[in-house]
Amino acid sequence: MLRDITLGQYYPSDSRVHHLDPRLKIILTLAYIVSLFFVKDYWGYVYCAVILGLVIHISRVPAKFVFKGIKALIVILIFTAVLNIFSYPDGTALAHVGLFTITIEGIQIAIKMCIRLILLVSGASILTLTTSPIQLTDAIERILNPFKKAGLPSHEIAMMMSIALRFIPTLMDETDKIIKAQQARGADFETGNLLQRAKSLIPILIPLFISAFRRADELAMAMEARCYGISTERTRMNELALGQEDFRAIGAAVLYGAIFVAVRLFL
Amino acid sequence: MYDMSIKVENLTHTYNSGTAFEKKAIDDLSFEIKDGDFVGLIGHTGSGKSTLIQHFNALLAPTSGKIYFNGEDINADKTKLKHFRTKIGLVFQYPEYQLFETTVFADVAFGPKNMGLSEEEIESRVKEALTIVGIDESVYESSPFELSGGQKRRAAIAGVLAMKPEVIILDEPTAGLDPKGRDEILNEIAKMHKILGITVILVSHSMEDVAKYVNRIIVMHNGKIKYSGTPEEIFGKAEELVEIGLDVPQITHVFKELKAQGIDVPDNIFTVDEAEKVLYDLLKQVEKC
Amino acid sequence: MDMVKSEKLKYEYTFETAIDEEEREPLVALKGVDITIEKGMFVAILGRNGSGKSTFAKHLNALLTPTEGTLFVNGYDCTQEELIYKIRKSAGMVFQNPDNQLVSTIVEEDIAFGPENLCIESSEIRKRVDRALKTVNMTEYARYAPNKLSGGQKQRIAIAGILAMEPECIVLDEPTAMLDPEGRKEVIDTVMELNKEKGITIILITHYMEEAIKADKIFVMDGGTVIMEGTPKEVFSQVEKLKGIGLDVPQVTEVAYRLRKRGIDIPQDILSIEEMVCTICQLKSKI
Repeated sequence: MLRDITLGQYYPSDSRVHHLDPRLKIILTLAYIVSLFFVKDYWGYVYCAVILGLVIHISRVPAKFVFKGIKALIVILIFTAVLNIFSYPDGTALAHVGLFTITIEGIQIAIKMCIRLILLVSGASILTLTTSPIQLTDAIERILNPFKKAGLPSHEIAMMMSIALRFIPTLMDETDKIIKAQQARGADFETGNLLQRAKSLIPILIPLFISAFRRADELAMAMEARCYGISTERTRMNELALGQEDFRAIGAAVLYGAIFVAVRLFL
Repeated sequence: MYDMSIKVENLTHTYNSGTAFEKKAIDDLSFEIKDGDFVGLIGHTGSGKSTLIQHFNALLAPTSGKIYFNGEDINADKTKLKHFRTKIGLVFQYPEYQLFETTVFADVAFGPKNMGLSEEEIESRVKEALTIVGIDESVYESSPFELSGGQKRRAAIAGVLAMKPEVIILDEPTAGLDPKGRDEILNEIAKMHKILGITVILVSHSMEDVAKYVNRIIVMHNGKIKYSGTPEEIFGKAEELVEIGLDVPQITHVFKELKAQGIDVPDNIFTVDEAEKVLYDLLKQVEKC
Repeated sequence: MDMVKSEKLKYEYTFETAIDEEEREPLVALKGVDITIEKGMFVAILGRNGSGKSTFAKHLNALLTPTEGTLFVNGYDCTQEELIYKIRKSAGMVFQNPDNQLVSTIVEEDIAFGPENLCIESSEIRKRVDRALKTVNMTEYARYAPNKLSGGQKQRIAIAGILAMEPECIVLDEPTAMLDPEGRKEVIDTVMELNKEKGITIILITHYMEEAIKADKIFVMDGGTVIMEGTPKEVFSQVEKLKGIGLDVPQVTEVAYRLRKRGIDIPQDILSIEEMVCTICQLKSKI
């Protein structure tokens, strides 16, 4: 059923990773992703993978949740692999497939690309698995805050994101209900050609849009009634502040980076 | 076999079967609803009544058990689902939110059109349905969104009625309406039952609403049928109903209390009319002396 | 000082503000409303759909501005644009649809929304949120997502969101219309408690007479004006008039009214089961 889909993939837990400042988590994740692009050999990937494994372990998120993200990626992985295999014709030829030549270098590059993608997606998954959507929104708002002066509506962006998060489950329930109600009137969404099927969506989409607009209208009024817009500044109940645990994480990240750079420079 | 319309046998429905969120919404129900009945299905939120009525319309398939309509298992043949959906009409809660066409007429015609009927047949059915719910011909060509709240709801009910179902199920048809709107809708439903001879299943959590109209009440609680019987029988169990969180009409409480005080009155009075009669007979002697 | 004082309050929906197309021509929603509500009262405004009661409610929160006449909320003149936020801080508003007034995906963050808008300090917001949650008995749901709650619970969260702004008055615009009986009871009990224990002025807009009976004072609106006002007993004893405008009276009141019409000497202001039973027993003992 529609209502069972959980939004994002947040895995609630009490781990140290969950409690980190979401801003820090976003920045560290970005740093990790950037570092992946500087890896040259397999040992580098092993190093990155071990560190990632360590973070997954500390986060107490079951590994299968992390790998779920990769499963969704399988098509892209295969596509990338095939593309890479065939795009290096100037190497030690292994086989010829029609116009294309498969080379050892091509295969090696394909493997590296896949590993990089897997590590990248797993890293990003850890961020979304350990940070609730609302924390993410909050963090994005605050990271973007310095750019407010340059005209970036960081608060409005965050507010829109959080309202969307709030209403997606409600609208999914509503969609479920409308579908059933139209089915009860004999509507058929499963047979017919593409055009007929597209047309059969009209009895669902129109009521859904009307309801969404009505909700938006009422929500706007409710927000106004609660003094939204009284001034451009708002305070927050949960101010984000870096704690001890956050500094430890920064320390660990610096260490990770240092080893990375040291190995690249001296070995 | 044709004297009955709906027969439910050992019906069970479990949501999210096999996961951590597994929940038995209805549990081994067996009952019959006879042709021409006017049934009140009562229970509070989460009692399983919504799940049950969606089975009647084959919108949910049973986890186990069977539902027969005029002797035929409605889930036996997937290609006949649409047929049963037109025979057992289902009006959801706040049905006005499903209106989508450009005119009232076209919206009511949506159901009959899906049945593949001829233009003439569609037109006559739409007109008949709109007449029964009391929508004037002058608004047939208006947008359904221009109607008032109560009219919108009646147009939506007509949309199901136009399919000429043998049974019509209405889920909280009076939700959110003011007392006048509520009475109007309930009177029209009573009219459908009387004039068209349709079997009506009225789902409600308000005892007072259904008491006046129905000839049978089914009370659901925790996915099971707790009580089933005539209104007189059911309202005799005022305490038990209150215990499972249901309201009984205010006047029923008065008679319970009078009886407890040793006054000889029946304890299953649930309408103002009956109360007036009984109390008048009781008190008219006071005037005489 | 009175919490609300309106004199000859008129309001016309115009082309721009009309919600439905049918209202696109100037529509007089309020035709001169005089309502005075003292501080600390529990007042019900009863009326059928389209009687103007919701339009009046929206004026109390400065969501609408009077076309004509005067309206003072907590002493602030509602025709003055610059007083809007003072008015909204004095009189909070809870709406009908529980789904469409919660902003956040987490209950406590939602309650914090109002105080955050008022630029209140973080530590103070925390305190207010905890207090508000406790008052509406929802402390254990602080970290829940609103869509996992029942209708009655959602409305209590909406009330908590207003409470956290510490208003002197709460206006509830048909807060129970979309709820089941259980949810209705939860909301009304909560509201009564706020009135009795915190002294908050409550203005309850409703078409359910069961809810209005509990009020200190009832205003009945119809066709954009106030047609009756008084205590519940004064109002509900006028059975004919209420039924005439499509409103209900308690079953016992109606039975008493009918018996009286048939010549039985029974008081016409019976509202509760106890009163009815007591009266009948007394009459019976005379035989």
